[in-house]
Amino acid sequence: MSSRKTLSKLATIGGFCTAVALVATGCGAGGPASSESGGSSINVLVEAGGHAELQPIADQCKKDTGVNVNFVELPYDGLFNRLSSEFSSGTVSFDVAALDSVWLPSFKDALQPIDELFTDEAKKDIFPSLVKEANVGGHFIGMPAWTNAEIVLYRKDLFEDAKNKADFKAKYGYDLAAPTTWQQYQDISAFFTKDGMYGTDVKGGVETEYLAHVLQAGSPMVLDSNNNVIIDNAAHKQALDFYTSLVKDAPAGAAQVDWAAAQNLFNQGKTAMTQFWAHAYRQIPKDSPVYGKVGTAPMIGGSAGVAGVPGPWYLSVPKATKNPDAAKKFVKCAFDHNDLAIQSSLGLASRISAFQKYQDQPGYESFKPLIETLNAPATATRPATAKWQQIVDTVLVPMLQKAVAGGDSTTLLADAKTKIQALLK
Amino acid sequence: MSTMESPVIPARPTTKETAPLSRNRRRRGVNREGLEAGKRSTRTILWILLAASLVLYGFPFLYLLFTSFKTPIDTIAVPPTILPKEWTLANYVNALGRSGVPASFINSIQTAVISTGLSLVLAVPAAYGITRYKTRSGRIFIMAALVTRMVPPVAIGIPLASMMASVGLADTPIALSIAHTTISLPLSIWLMSSFFEAVPQDLEEAATVDGCSRLGALWRVVIPVVSGGIAVTAIFAFLASWNEFLFALLMTAVRSQTTPVVIANFQTQFGLDWGSMTALAAVYSIPVILLTLLLQRKIVAGMTLGAVKG
Repeated sequence: MSSRKTLSKLATIGGFCTAVALVATGCGAGGPASSESGGSSINVLVEAGGHAELQPIADQCKKDTGVNVNFVELPYDGLFNRLSSEFSSGTVSFDVAALDSVWLPSFKDALQPIDELFTDEAKKDIFPSLVKEANVGGHFIGMPAWTNAEIVLYRKDLFEDAKNKADFKAKYGYDLAAPTTWQQYQDISAFFTKDGMYGTDVKGGVETEYLAHVLQAGSPMVLDSNNNVIIDNAAHKQALDFYTSLVKDAPAGAAQVDWAAAQNLFNQGKTAMTQFWAHAYRQIPKDSPVYGKVGTAPMIGGSAGVAGVPGPWYLSVPKATKNPDAAKKFVKCAFDHNDLAIQSSLGLASRISAFQKYQDQPGYESFKPLIETLNAPATATRPATAKWQQIVDTVLVPMLQKAVAGGDSTTLLADAKTKIQALLK
Repeated sequence: MSTMESPVIPARPTTKETAPLSRNRRRRGVNREGLEAGKRSTRTILWILLAASLVLYGFPFLYLLFTSFKTPIDTIAVPPTILPKEWTLANYVNALGRSGVPASFINSIQTAVISTGLSLVLAVPAAYGITRYKTRSGRIFIMAALVTRMVPPVAIGIPLASMMASVGLADTPIALSIAHTTISLPLSIWLMSSFFEAVPQDLEEAATVDGCSRLGALWRVVIPVVSGGIAVTAIFAFLASWNEFLFALLMTAVRSQTTPVVIANFQTQFGLDWGSMTALAAVYSIPVILLTLLLQRKIVAGMTLGAVKG
């Protein structure tokens, strides 16, 4: 009988909890749904890291336009799936989405044109490569919210050490300073690889840095303007050979090193230099052994000069939104108050004027090299193909992993060409 | 009387005769000691194995717990350290102070409770019917239920999200609960079937003789007997929903985002906040640990139900 009583009690408690839960379901714990939000309230879908960028802007926009913003944060890895799912269903739970630049071609048919926001004045204040990238199929479908590019971060304390300077000059015949060319980067990497320290890292798990070297060598990345696969040309081989030449001066296991690993190695003081996204400069932990000892420089240059691959995110309005006016109002407001994002933990913006406003202030030493890299003539955005992410995941990254493990560059590039051609068919 | 035989009193053994006896006793003693020593060594080995298993299973959680008390630079140390060099609660303050975290906890509880309830309400009668009526269609049904477990969740996640949106349930805990039930229901039916199999049919027949209907016998006799099994099934269903990530990622937004998605949000394109991520994960595991401790007896009873079936 006691077990029956216990069971009855459990059933009562369970029933009560279920009832409470079901009742609560109607209102939910997070806030209003998109459909309930009405004209003055919108949902903005954003990658988790980008929320901090947009929050101060949203606060200001509420004051200026009366549009209230609810953020839906999702991790990067799931955001693409979520967007694909909602766009394909024709029903969206958001009114504005912050999209990675490489996704724009994939979602162009589901996004509203926002040509009216790209005035001549606005275009002048956006990096040229971003203006080009935002225009897909003859219409502007995304307003840059923030942008990034790889720059060189180096150990200022080691570079300014008198003994290091003297030893370096004696060995290489020129002064030790932040590298500007491939040769200098190789020399400095070799010089600092001693006593358990490494000159640089080599990232086998991500492709952007290699692609920047391709641009520096004077070629478009992977595809030419007619979408022909050119990954086996001389520039791609030069870039790959340069990339793999650094393996001997980098920590072991280069094939597995991605952004997080490279950032950890630098912040732990294990590497003297790294080519990394500019935001990392402001994210060095205060208890890191390298805090306050880091210098910044523009991305290095090859035969075509300095070049980087921009990493912008765009604010886009889906065609299926029920609040197009409020959504566009927010996108415009976000551009108008773009500089507010700089005070966030990520500290990035998209407007040239916003970066320039802060570039001379202490703590923002990464901005001048970033502006220089983004303005460099050889800097270019990634090819506008809906298959880009697939090309990266299934061809470029595996190819780099084999290359840094000692694979033959000519063979690997030829294989990659065949695979990419198959993907694009 | 002289003919009467005096009772035979066994003569005391002489010292020479006692010697083998005591040797035997000693040998038996030695055997007993040897047996006990053997038992002791077996027990020691078992304890060592138990400790090793405990470390193997517990270490990841302990490492997570220690990481949640580390400073930012400690969390990314190369090589990694197990214990924090400096203990801090900053990660907990940061994680719990993040907007949306309390709401996500409520959403997780709502979703898990509804999903568990739905699983039990559907699995108990289904499993009872299958085990008691033993029809061909029942056997096909239970196999078909297992087949649904073989489909990768991502294959049904996107269609499910579209279906929920089309019936107006987008971004609600009830939609996510229904999706989670598709995961836990097959396992629940299989578990409950094995528990019902262990209950002798005589019990129900006796109840029927005493005037119970079939459903009455199920409710008054069978279900109390398998209450341990129901507790085990409930725990599995609850855990399946509590820790589920993919459906939550695809189907929730402002109103119903659950904590696993919030935990994943600490890994961004611009960096990984290990400290806050592990702090929130540690807090999120507390309700499950408490639930398991609370239902520990029921779980053990459920696990051993049918173990002595002749």
